[in-house]
Amino acid sequence: MFAAVDAPYGADLALLVLCAADFSPYVEETSPSTVVISIDGLTHLFGSPREIADAIARRAADVGLAVNIAIADNPDLAVHGARGLAGVTVMEPGREAGLPVALLDPCEEIALTLALWGIRTFGEFAALPEDGVAERLGEEGVRLQRLARGAGSRPLAPSNPAPPFAESIELEHPLVLLEPLAFLLGRLLHDLCARLESRGLAAHELKLSLSLEGAAPHERALRLPYPMRSAGTFLKLLSLDLEMHPPGAPVTAVALSAEAVNPRVVQHGLFIPLAPEPQKLELTLARIAKLVGEGNAGSPELMDTHRPRSFRVVRFGGSENRGQSTLSAVLPALRLFRPALRAKVEAPDGRPARVVADGVHGRVLDSAGPWRTSGDWWIKDAWARDEWDVALSDGALYLLYRDRYDGAWFVEGAYD
Amino acid sequence: MTRPHGGGRGRPLQDWSPAPRRTEYVELHARSAFSFLRAASLPEELAGAAAEMGFSAMALVDRDGLYGAPRFHFAAKKAEVRAHIGAEVTCTDGTVYPLLVRSRVGYRNLCHLITRMKLRAKKNEGAATREEIAEHAEGLVCLAGLDHDLPWLLDAFAPGDVYAEIQRHMDREEEARNQALVERARSLRVPLLATNGVCHATAAEREIFDVLTAVRNKTTLDAAGRLLARNSERHLKPAVEMARLFADHPDAIANTVELSSRLEFVLTELGYEFPKYQVPEGETMNSFLARRTDEGARRRYQPYHERARRQIERELALIGKLGLAGYFLIVWDLVQFCRNNGILAQGRGSAANSAVCYSLGITAVDPVGMDLLFERFLSEERGEWPDIDLDLPSGDQRERVIQYVYQRYGRRGAAMTANVITYRGRSAAREVGKVLGFPEDVLGRLSALARAWEWKDPQYTAERQFRDAGLDPANPRIRKFLELYQGVQDLPRHLGQHSGGMVICEGQLDSVVPLEPATMPGRVVVQWDKDDCADLGLVKVDLLGLGMMAVLEETLARIRESYHEEVDLAQLPPDDPETYSALQRADTIGMFQVESRAQQAVLPRMRPERFYDIVVQVGIIRPGPIVGKMVHPYLKRRQGREAAECLHPSLERVLRRTLGVPLFQEQLLRMAMIASGFTGGEAEDLRRAFSHKRSEAKMQEIEVRLRAGMERNSIRGPVQDTIVQAIASFALYGFPESHAASFALLAYASAYLKTHYLAAFTAAMLNNQPMGFYHPSTLIKDAQRHGLRVKPVDVAVSDWLCTLEMPALRLGLRYVRGLREEAGQAIVRRRPFASIDDLVHRVPELRKDELTKLAAVGALNALEAAGRRGAMWESARAIQPVGPLLDTARDEARAIPLRPMTPEERLRADYLGTGVTIGRHPMAWRRAEMNARNATAAAELHRMRNGRPVRVGGAVIVRQRPGTAHGFVFLSLEDETGIANIIVTPDVFEQYRLTLVGAPFLFIEGALQNVDGVVSVKASYIEALPAWGAEPVSHDFR
Repeated sequence: MFAAVDAPYGADLALLVLCAADFSPYVEETSPSTVVISIDGLTHLFGSPREIADAIARRAADVGLAVNIAIADNPDLAVHGARGLAGVTVMEPGREAGLPVALLDPCEEIALTLALWGIRTFGEFAALPEDGVAERLGEEGVRLQRLARGAGSRPLAPSNPAPPFAESIELEHPLVLLEPLAFLLGRLLHDLCARLESRGLAAHELKLSLSLEGAAPHERALRLPYPMRSAGTFLKLLSLDLEMHPPGAPVTAVALSAEAVNPRVVQHGLFIPLAPEPQKLELTLARIAKLVGEGNAGSPELMDTHRPRSFRVVRFGGSENRGQSTLSAVLPALRLFRPALRAKVEAPDGRPARVVADGVHGRVLDSAGPWRTSGDWWIKDAWARDEWDVALSDGALYLLYRDRYDGAWFVEGAYD
Repeated sequence: MTRPHGGGRGRPLQDWSPAPRRTEYVELHARSAFSFLRAASLPEELAGAAAEMGFSAMALVDRDGLYGAPRFHFAAKKAEVRAHIGAEVTCTDGTVYPLLVRSRVGYRNLCHLITRMKLRAKKNEGAATREEIAEHAEGLVCLAGLDHDLPWLLDAFAPGDVYAEIQRHMDREEEARNQALVERARSLRVPLLATNGVCHATAAEREIFDVLTAVRNKTTLDAAGRLLARNSERHLKPAVEMARLFADHPDAIANTVELSSRLEFVLTELGYEFPKYQVPEGETMNSFLARRTDEGARRRYQPYHERARRQIERELALIGKLGLAGYFLIVWDLVQFCRNNGILAQGRGSAANSAVCYSLGITAVDPVGMDLLFERFLSEERGEWPDIDLDLPSGDQRERVIQYVYQRYGRRGAAMTANVITYRGRSAAREVGKVLGFPEDVLGRLSALARAWEWKDPQYTAERQFRDAGLDPANPRIRKFLELYQGVQDLPRHLGQHSGGMVICEGQLDSVVPLEPATMPGRVVVQWDKDDCADLGLVKVDLLGLGMMAVLEETLARIRESYHEEVDLAQLPPDDPETYSALQRADTIGMFQVESRAQQAVLPRMRPERFYDIVVQVGIIRPGPIVGKMVHPYLKRRQGREAAECLHPSLERVLRRTLGVPLFQEQLLRMAMIASGFTGGEAEDLRRAFSHKRSEAKMQEIEVRLRAGMERNSIRGPVQDTIVQAIASFALYGFPESHAASFALLAYASAYLKTHYLAAFTAAMLNNQPMGFYHPSTLIKDAQRHGLRVKPVDVAVSDWLCTLEMPALRLGLRYVRGLREEAGQAIVRRRPFASIDDLVHRVPELRKDELTKLAAVGALNALEAAGRRGAMWESARAIQPVGPLLDTARDEARAIPLRPMTPEERLRADYLGTGVTIGRHPMAWRRAEMNARNATAAAELHRMRNGRPVRVGGAVIVRQRPGTAHGFVFLSLEDETGIANIIVTPDVFEQYRLTLVGAPFLFIEGALQNVDGVVSVKASYIEALPAWGAEPVSHDFR
């Protein structure tokens, strides 16, 4: 005998599974809102099938789920009963006859044919001659008709859910310092990694949620460049991250979860120089990021835009797709001043004639320009500027530009 | 049109001050928006900007075509700028050659070159080879860049016809290329030429240019990166600025003026000739036309009275003087072709004003008898070709006539005119939204905003609309959207094909204008639209497909076949009482031009009694008379409730027949002629001035002339104002009387045929869907109410089309949804069938789903005694493939296990499977419920007192919210007895909006309005009746 439990669409499946698992270790997750268990052997514990069903219903009600339950000889019939009949039902023979055929979940073509035939219920479908159905709807039709007759005979397919890779702890006293917090995290990470290891999995994302006293929870997510499961590394990474982004109030609870994936297995090339150990590299990068600020460590990548000298910093090993420089190779190298030097420029006829900036001053001996660019006009960060290449009386060659929105002049760099 | 300004940070500072200097410069490389997404300004904007900068000339060089050339030419002419023409021609070597036309030979070569590369490629593709460019180089000037092979160009083009083109857009890399090019040019002694490679008229339009670039590359502005413009420098720049930019190459600037002076070609010298009509020895075209006209006139006018004779002489004299005889003969030839091939053809539009056209059989309305205005068709002053439009049966017959034109004048002697598809409303909103990167749901909301309903509340500003759609108008991106959306309005998007305009040419049309392939195979399109063709004097014949012509043609054939009678449309009894009675009752479903809700609401008050009443009826329900508030005065006068006074005694002759109310365009022109002393040609000018491309200045100028003329004729004070106002408000929308008369003929013919040959007419209507105002289900129910028996689809007897089984109508297989014509025709060819198995066996074309559909709609009932369900059961088995072994082992004569369909199931299957039902109307099944709720049947409403509260229920067959009705909504509810008309006020509409828009069946309470035989219910309460999942289809919002 089997009991099918059907919860309203959108209910918490995990809860439903938990609830069913209280009665039998063999739980089939038939769909996101339906589970089936075998109830053979439960009679001694709970009594008749109806009493078993009632017990399940009570248990579900305890956790806040309003469910429909049907008990039948085979899993399919139980599922159809639970989905089609409200409350608790023990499927007596013939009880299925009134169920709508849509519960059989037929393919579109068969559904359409049945509708055209005026077949609305299990009973009507079951009454059709079997060879007639076989001739017209084929093997699938026969299978569905058997189900409509309540004669399904498949075994239960119990699922074996992976335990959630999450740990949490409620604190008796709020924590103010990072050090005891790190100690706690270490413990949680140790358990988490042990569980990952036991399943042969690794984590490629860690999520930390710190409940705070009198403030919204402090959430951090640590996305790893590749899957790992070293508790030590995780702890260091989390500690560095927390140092950079400390919680704003005392911590009252800690929850940690990991997204588990298969670990990456890499065969190192024989002739390829050994790269630093990934864990170490990741840690080093995290330390550098802590020093120079996030977004300032990584490799530069040119952006696809006319905006002069725009690039972004991407994580190492991130994007392989490098932008191409459009500047031809004949240009001399340009040393950029970062940030560009604000300058005072005399430009009587629009052409710069004299330049004064921090460490740069002189008469303009020769100039080329303006080289004009503008763009991103549809966003706040629009730009429009004129660049000039100037030879100053100090003997050097500079790149000047003028912001065409506010008229300000800058020395952006010097040519070698 | 407004253009966006500045960017997210406001407007950039202006350039450093230029050193003023007198220089001459001609911009010789500018693209317009007719380069389709490769530039942002219309030719008129470029010409206007050129004039403002004081250019003496400018060249338009669009990509792979001369699409914008006519508009540029005329705009430049108006602005007193010389227009040079050219094109950027894509080459198979991956480069683009800007070519300028120097002479007429060059123009012809360019047209040939573009035609050749376009015609062999797919639409919007194609490139010329280097050999082809060399072959067509004579008379063309090439602007070479660094990518081009200069020695080869020097070899291919005539000496002096190659220039090295340098452009300066303040770009380092460009400058490096320029230096290389200058060096190379110097070494080969090629002169330099400065241009700015213009893509937009003003700097601000660069934003539109970027938007179009993103659209063309199917990306967003954020992702477009370096595909977008580097800066805003590709705009038209004044001579001083260009001179300053090229201060180091003064020769490059000077050469623009020198080259411009050598470009002697002007677009009006196209060398176009309308084909001559071949006449027999000893005849001229004029004499031949006179003879044909005389023959026709004697047939048409019996007796051939003096007035007609004088009019024809006058027309022939003018035709001869303007050298148009050939044109009339060619149209006559087309009409002859139609007549000889049994294709109905009737001239429409202003041609109906001509007695010569009437005599030649081109039109069917007697302009002399109806006193129509010939000047509306042809006048000496206008100096342009007259416009003759032929209405033909839509579909294959029209295609036959088009193919006849190709065959007669050669593939390159005739082509369809283009139709430029521009950015408007919804398309503009969607594409601009897309490039701004709005998500799909926002795009949907934006495009829905653009034009959800025809009628717009004037208070409903764009800002409010945005807010209502849940979009924040303060958001910079949304604001930018609005700006750009307005900016792209009217810019060309791509080239389509005009529905029927054909241009014909003596000799090669591709010497006159480039041709390109149309989407439809076997069709060729010119690169200009019909206005451009008309402006440049290319003669065009419009061959328009009209569904009703096809219906009339088929009706006559079916009458011949099934009633064994011969009906000639030209000889219909003119005053058939039954026909007029149907019109007076507004019993007009299916009748041409008089079947709409609005027409039906006027007919009982109009009570047409003779042909001219139908002409008025056709002309009166138009935006002109409605907006001009002419409808009610006319109807009041018609009903004798108001005196039929004319505005002024002198206008008596013009306005008498419309009871003193001006209704037609011709009347306005005549009013101008009589009251202000305008000549016929001047009056026609007036019409054009007030037409779609109206210009304020021109209108004012004409108003001054109108008033001055009236002063001379002592028409003053309020009468003068009324006349001026009538002309001004009306000239735009007024319907030509000649056009109304041509349509009225078809309306009368359709009314006559429906009244006397209902079966044949209904069959023809059903066979020519989609057309007309009502869905086939309504046509069938209406025919049934008129006593026609309609039989169901049946594979044993139905043809593909609906046929007559006198006195009944048999639905054709084409009404089975999802049945392909190939399978349907195979059924017709291979019957009779002994059983469903036999059908399946002998019609292998039939697919499983098709067989099921036939069974579901009862089309297999003749082969299966157990009805539709039995047929389904059997067909489901029969269609399954079985091997030879089991072929004989199939179950024989077993009882059908399925229960028969209930009437509701049959109704549902009918609507789902054919869209129509010949059984009882869905409302008939609800009558008991309706009676219980005290509802009145539609047919009973007219017996009830005006003002009484009533309830009605029915299927919605039409929902309308016309632009002229100030937000009122009109519904037609059909039940088994007829159709009830419902009026919904804007307030009630707002209250029940969702129900009204979505529910297929409605129950409505309201006050009955029953005045002068016009019956409607003014709704106050609206409720949706439960739907059945299948119902008649409503025709919404037209």
